[in-house]
Amino acid sequence: MKLKSSIYITAMALAVMAVVSLFVGKYPLTLPGLLAGHEMQLKVFFRLRLSRTVLGVLGGVCLGVAGFVYQTVFRNPLASPDIIGVASGASAGAAAGILFLSGAAAVTAASFAGALLAVILALSLAALDKTGKSGTIVLSGIAVHALAQTLLMGLKLTADPEKELASIEYWIMGSLNGVAVERIFPNALLCLVCLAVLFLLHRQIVLLSVGEEEAQMLGVSVTALRLAVLLTATLMVAAVVSLTGLISFVGLLAPHGARLLTKRDHRGTMALSGLLGGVLLCFADILARSVAATELPVSIFTSLIGAPFLVWLIVRRETRA
Amino acid sequence: MLEVRDLSVSYGKKEILTNVSFTLEKGTVTALLGANGCGKTTLIKALCGLLPCEGSRRLDGCDLRELSTKETAQQIGYIPQRSGISLSLTALDVVLMGFSPRLGLLQQPTGAMEAQARQTLAQLGLGADTAYLTLSEGQKQLCILARTLVMDAKVLLLDEPESALDLQNRYGLFEHLRGRLQDRAVLAVLHDPQLALQTADKLILLKDGTVHAVLHPKTDSPETMEQAFCGIYGRVRLHKIEDTIVMVR
Repeated sequence: MKLKSSIYITAMALAVMAVVSLFVGKYPLTLPGLLAGHEMQLKVFFRLRLSRTVLGVLGGVCLGVAGFVYQTVFRNPLASPDIIGVASGASAGAAAGILFLSGAAAVTAASFAGALLAVILALSLAALDKTGKSGTIVLSGIAVHALAQTLLMGLKLTADPEKELASIEYWIMGSLNGVAVERIFPNALLCLVCLAVLFLLHRQIVLLSVGEEEAQMLGVSVTALRLAVLLTATLMVAAVVSLTGLISFVGLLAPHGARLLTKRDHRGTMALSGLLGGVLLCFADILARSVAATELPVSIFTSLIGAPFLVWLIVRRETRA
Repeated sequence: MLEVRDLSVSYGKKEILTNVSFTLEKGTVTALLGANGCGKTTLIKALCGLLPCEGSRRLDGCDLRELSTKETAQQIGYIPQRSGISLSLTALDVVLMGFSPRLGLLQQPTGAMEAQARQTLAQLGLGADTAYLTLSEGQKQLCILARTLVMDAKVLLLDEPESALDLQNRYGLFEHLRGRLQDRAVLAVLHDPQLALQTADKLILLKDGTVHAVLHPKTDSPETMEQAFCGIYGRVRLHKIEDTIVMVR
């Protein structure tokens, strides 16, 4: 499929998902009711559904773009935003927030701080290797991931099994539920800035994908640029997961889907990856609140869609090889 | 043009290159020859500044160590043994990368640059919109050559640029280079002494990390060159057939 048509069709699918997402939920909303100014419907629309839909669209777009960036920079089709420990850091931060702070905003802030700390630690450890190889960043990420997981286990051990432990587990499973607009705003602003930076740096991101020595001989200051790109992409992911909890597979799947559709790594492919991420997350969120009597964690559905797709991708690659 | 003095490179305690000195003159093609593992690629990488080294590398009197990454890329075009491109890019995308040293961080290649890239690809017999990853290894080498040519660098350092090319393209590659030499100097790592003898102005023979001999095929006698080659490849003979020197083993 041609790049432009893929982008138009996916953008339309995302718009449809966003509209459906606005109207799906326990409390029924109708267009005539909203237009007539029905008080309860307006309240539900503005306080619950709108923020949830914005979070689904923006979160999915950010995860999709970040996944594309990670896979390109690390030259690894299985790279995802957690490769340098951002999700583990966010989980440990959220767990600490649930245990020691009060209020959803505080948990978001703690989770964001945890993600940021993990990334800074991973990149600082990687900086100890003066050769600046990308493999060192991956190894540092694995070390930080292990460290954050240990911290998380320690925090879980001290948590009250009836209350706090359940909250931590539910946060880790991810949900777009109950995030107020005022909590989304600063994170959304950060996400938009990061998205703009990444799109502006697309040409440089592609140059990073050719390998360290070759990129350097094309005039790229590899270590500095890679640090800037990874930090930007990770900040964006941290801004999303600190609000939503962990969202599996979106960052991994969306770039593969975009490349399958366009067969090309282009700035438009990065945009398409973001749009597909948005479609995937919105669709999973719609399922999460409509297939059962109680709301289910969104990662269950992103994983349910993602795992078979990943297997298909591997089988397809093996068959081609 | 490029003056290399007492260049030494070590991997840990193991010395790979020891006090290598030579010059590359403007408008000439120099071939770097030697047995496997003698340090040819290490020398090319050290010249590019990709490996830490001792000794001096001066380009038109300017110390290359003082140049930034971008400035180095503006002066030196490099073809690695194998490009690391793994993304689904078109040949045009790949060649446009060559303009990167002349572009700002957020700048995009201009229309004129795209036209130049298309023209260079056409001259090398490649389609601009062909997917790079679907090209044969030889075509990929030509595409990377096109990328290096549009860089417009003063010195081209080519590490086995012809290893996957057929006979016609091997010689064609050097014809392209000659056509674009003007103010440039080319240093190419080659494994085929016959190709080197026929296409290069100067031959640097590397042995165990040192310069074994510097030959000039147009002026040196076949006996002198034969002796130097024997020190690298064992028993070889050089015969002059009309104006061409032919090597047999």
